Amino acid sequence: MENSIYLGLSRQMTLRTNMAITANNIANMNTPGYRGQNMLFAEYLADPKGAEDELSFVYDRGQYQDSKAGPMQQTDNPLDMALVGPGFFGVAGPGGQPTYSRAGNFQMGINGTLQTSAGFDVLDQGGAAIQIPADAKEFKIDDNGVVSTENGAIGTIQIVEFENIQNLSPMGNNLYTTNDAPIEATQTRTKQGYVEGSNVNSILEMTNMIEISRSFQAMQQAMSVENDRLRSAIAKLTKTT
Amino acid sequence: MRSLDIGATGMMAQQLNVDTISNNIANMTTTGFKRQRAAFLDLIYQNVDRPGSASSDADTLVPSGIQMGLGVRAGAVYRMTGQGAIEITENPLDLAVTGEGYFQIELPNGNTAYTRDGTFQLNENGELVTVQGYRVEPGITIPEDAKDIDINANGEVLVSIEGQVAMQNLGQLELASFVNPVGLEAVGDNLFLETESSGAPTNGTPGEDQFGAIRQGALEQSNVNVVEEITRLIAAQRAYEMNSNVISTSDEMMQVVGQLK
Repeated sequence: MENSIYLGLSRQMTLRTNMAITANNIANMNTPGYRGQNMLFAEYLADPKGAEDELSFVYDRGQYQDSKAGPMQQTDNPLDMALVGPGFFGVAGPGGQPTYSRAGNFQMGINGTLQTSAGFDVLDQGGAAIQIPADAKEFKIDDNGVVSTENGAIGTIQIVEFENIQNLSPMGNNLYTTNDAPIEATQTRTKQGYVEGSNVNSILEMTNMIEISRSFQAMQQAMSVENDRLRSAIAKLTKTT
Repeated sequence: MRSLDIGATGMMAQQLNVDTISNNIANMTTTGFKRQRAAFLDLIYQNVDRPGSASSDADTLVPSGIQMGLGVRAGAVYRMTGQGAIEITENPLDLAVTGEGYFQIELPNGNTAYTRDGTFQLNENGELVTVQGYRVEPGITIPEDAKDIDINANGEVLVSIEGQVAMQNLGQLELASFVNPVGLEAVGDNLFLETESSGAPTNGTPGEDQFGAIRQGALEQSNVNVVEEITRLIAAQRAYEMNSNVISTSDEMMQVVGQLK
């Protein structure tokens, strides 16, 4: 009998998750290479005893990432590079595990290796760190990710693509991990002196947030009406005189 | 309400972004200043397990259920060591390095600091010093009767002395370079200190190997690009506003819950 309250509750719970995901997108509006996350809702049919029809609850089935490219920001910093195309940089993540990243704002680390801004080594095609010679004056990266100094090439940055990028799961520090085997990049090029910004569309996220907030209020309204109805039903049914 | 905390991490990150940008703008005309940039990273993710979500559904869109990101954090504020523009001053003791390398400065405590700021002067003993009066290493003393000071591209200091035909060589300025100049620690007064991350300095002659040449009568301006800083400032301010909107929306939602009878 109080099913409609539970239906409203199922909606409110999913809206709360949705709000957290939207908030995370907005918080990462300026994070290089960040991919916006979207919520996927699903209907959950239940056939409880006493109900004539099936009840349709909602639950947060999962999420998917927005795979469109972020804006290219020109920085003119030689260690910055952006990826044009669907590929990812290969990065040695925490504990050396293979991880992938779109954030190309690299730095030189303590040992002269090329690192991400969180201090993880960027890998070359053989899976080793890229060592920049101490006396290097010039640092060039061509379209195919070949890193060279004035004395010639020193390595090629590992750039990989995936059949299904939705299988990549974010792990923080602008890194992604996956159980899928990466495939060789054929459609991705590097662009030196640029950084790919976050692909979060702030206008969409803001309208999303308004919608979440209003839906939340509407559900609350519905639940409170239902509460009133129940109360008056109880009052009427228990009236003895 | 996770979104409340997530909005807060966003605001803190943008605050740091604005701080960094304003420091760059404030140092727009600081000699030898290198602009900084804040780099952001997404925070950890919370796996919200949902039994049944990995059912026999053939749709490969969402294999991992829900991973909720918990906001953003500042990874680093790093210095961009690109060359600044060279400004001609015609002051014989103004020196600019065109290329890599830092002047070495002896601090009052005896340690060595490094700088790109070549605004040098003479102290009461005729020694070459910085604006703060710290000695430039290796020490160069200009005799009182020197007429003309000439510092060439390789850092040799030559003076012509009254009554002498040949120029007198007073010594050679050296530059220091680092594997990772981004890792130098800024201590203010345009000075940097060596750190583990920068690596040990390599000393050398200006204009040779990786070292840049010295240009007398010129100064290196800051490498701050004002147009870029202002556009970044606008973006940071709007991002800050939107994050504050996240917080107020979360607040409204909590208020709605609070009104539950």
